[in-house]
Amino acid sequence: MVKAVRSLTIRHVDAGSCNGCEQELTALTGPDYDLQRYGLDIVASPRHADALLVTGPVTDTMFLPMLRVWEAIPAPKVAIAFGDCAAGCGAFQHCYASHQGLAAADIVVRGCPPEPGEALEVLRRWLASLHGGWNAPPRSAGDAK
Amino acid sequence: MPTAWVHFNAQRKAAGQELLALTADRSGTLRATWLDPSDGRQTWMDWGVSGGRFPSLSVVLPEVAWDEREIHDLFGYLPEGHPDLRPLVRTPRWPTTFLPLGGSRRPPLWREVEPDLPALQVQGEGVTIMKVGPTHAGIIESGHFVFSLIGENILHLDVHLFQNHRGLETLLEGETLDAVPRVVGRTCAADTVSHQTNWALAVEHLSDFTAPPALTRQRVVLLEAERVLSHLNDLAQIPAGVGFQVAHQRALSIKEYWQRCLKALFGHRFLFDTVRPGWAKATSGEALVEAVRGLRQRFGPWRRLVEGHVGFQDRMRGVGVTSLSQVIRLGAQGVAARAAGKPFDARQMLPWYGEFEVKPVTGVEGDVKARFMVRLEELEESLRILEAAAPRLPASPPRPAYFALPPDPSGRVVTFTESPHGLNVHDVTLESGRVVRYHIRAATFRNWPLLAQAVGGNAVADFPLINKSFELCYSCTDR
Ligand code: SF4
Repeated sequence: MVKAVRSLTIRHVDAGSCNGCEQELTALTGPDYDLQRYGLDIVASPRHADALLVTGPVTDTMFLPMLRVWEAIPAPKVAIAFGDCAAGCGAFQHCYASHQGLAAADIVVRGCPPEPGEALEVLRRWLASLHGGWNAPPRSAGDAK
Repeated sequence: MPTAWVHFNAQRKAAGQELLALTADRSGTLRATWLDPSDGRQTWMDWGVSGGRFPSLSVVLPEVAWDEREIHDLFGYLPEGHPDLRPLVRTPRWPTTFLPLGGSRRPPLWREVEPDLPALQVQGEGVTIMKVGPTHAGIIESGHFVFSLIGENILHLDVHLFQNHRGLETLLEGETLDAVPRVVGRTCAADTVSHQTNWALAVEHLSDFTAPPALTRQRVVLLEAERVLSHLNDLAQIPAGVGFQVAHQRALSIKEYWQRCLKALFGHRFLFDTVRPGWAKATSGEALVEAVRGLRQRFGPWRRLVEGHVGFQDRMRGVGVTSLSQVIRLGAQGVAARAAGKPFDARQMLPWYGEFEVKPVTGVEGDVKARFMVRLEELEESLRILEAAAPRLPASPPRPAYFALPPDPSGRVVTFTESPHGLNVHDVTLESGRVVRYHIRAATFRNWPLLAQAVGGNAVADFPLINKSFELCYSCTDR
């Protein structure tokens, strides 16, 4: 992604997860983590998304539908591998119908499943890195174009 | 004249037994294993495939229609006389010669075509076809649904699953005892303890080891802690299906509390890797009681909120109705079956639960509300079991319960537990400490065909609500 953004809207695709990653993703939307506070959100349509978030090792049957969703997301866009399976080091790596995760992910959230607090931190750190990291001075009103 | 195979299975069903598993092996033998709920005894029959064929049971025993299609897809054995032999797991991307449990285990060169399968659709004037999935607009597992609609109402639903099929059973072939738990425990995050326990039971049985109470109690605690978590999740989702966001969000928060407790007590928010042959992760009774007390404090007010909300209660009533006869015909399991009045709970067949006197919670109406209420009651029942077990656990700090087992058991055994989703069965064959065949039959596999029937006649907009009231997991089914 080239454009510096302060928010990231995410479309989720399950590509063979055990549903642990889904449940932790759902936890992020709950009151304890409330990811919307940080400009992050899970959206219904790829057209509204900046990012594709994949869970699971990418099964063969989900391979093409996942690509369709990726193609439907307007550029610039990023790919997020959520969980060890999607990161290419999960328990189903060597299954015959597994494509071994998302090789070209821009953001990798490790864990089996990732704990929501840590996942949130990885996503926020990535957002912050677009602006010079956590310690960058806050954006002033004059920045808005 | 029905064959002995058909006769045996039809007779077991007529006698009120539960089908544990129907599967095949590479040598061309089918095995059906049944459980007699009155005494917990298992009976089975083997049937040799001849000329690549075997007589289909599906006409007399509709609950095995999917099992037989799966056998056809993975082994290539043809169930003769099957009324609907469309592919279930296989997709057009699989080379026709690829049989993951019949031939090579290696991934084939996938064909460059779409994975879509033909759907069963209603044709006629005014009928609209609506396709949903396999990717969804929320955080949901992948599945493809083809609705035939008339106006707003569902005439027919054709469920296409197995998008999450990874090939677990093939992966497990040839594995060592040490390698199995990581994979089996991740068959499904919602039922992980149940899957792990089935594996432990299999190895222990084949090693002639009977777990002592110190170990079985820790496992009961883990199984019930998992049931609480899974039911909390499902109870949180149902209000979301009708836009009752307050109840949804508050339940998510209670679930979060419980997951943090599980992390503190057992080291993992979903209880992954907590049970192994001869071993279970231990906790102290005091810490457990403390965690349950906190949950009761949170759950009580939430229960009053949802039970006192007349609009919510009304909204669930009469939606997604299943009859007891449908449930029995399709061999449905778990909450979905009990909510329609089938009093089967596999915990009653497990000797470990004897000291806790579990009573199955049943409903009558078989609608969304009944499934919601059964979960509410079962959750309270699980809390009661946890509280009853706590004083019988060792005081803090917990002593690890570990027993050394022989490294090279051989033989075949069918084990089961009651997962949060129902009867969860593993059919395991080992040879000198290696897996020869591993078959996993989760309760949700049996419940999907029931869900497809339950939505008929309902408004299509209620599908998410009905679906959430079953809360069938895709991962256990697809494997
Ligand atoms: S990373 Fe772990 S939790 Fe996530 S899908 Fe894979 S096995 Fe499940």
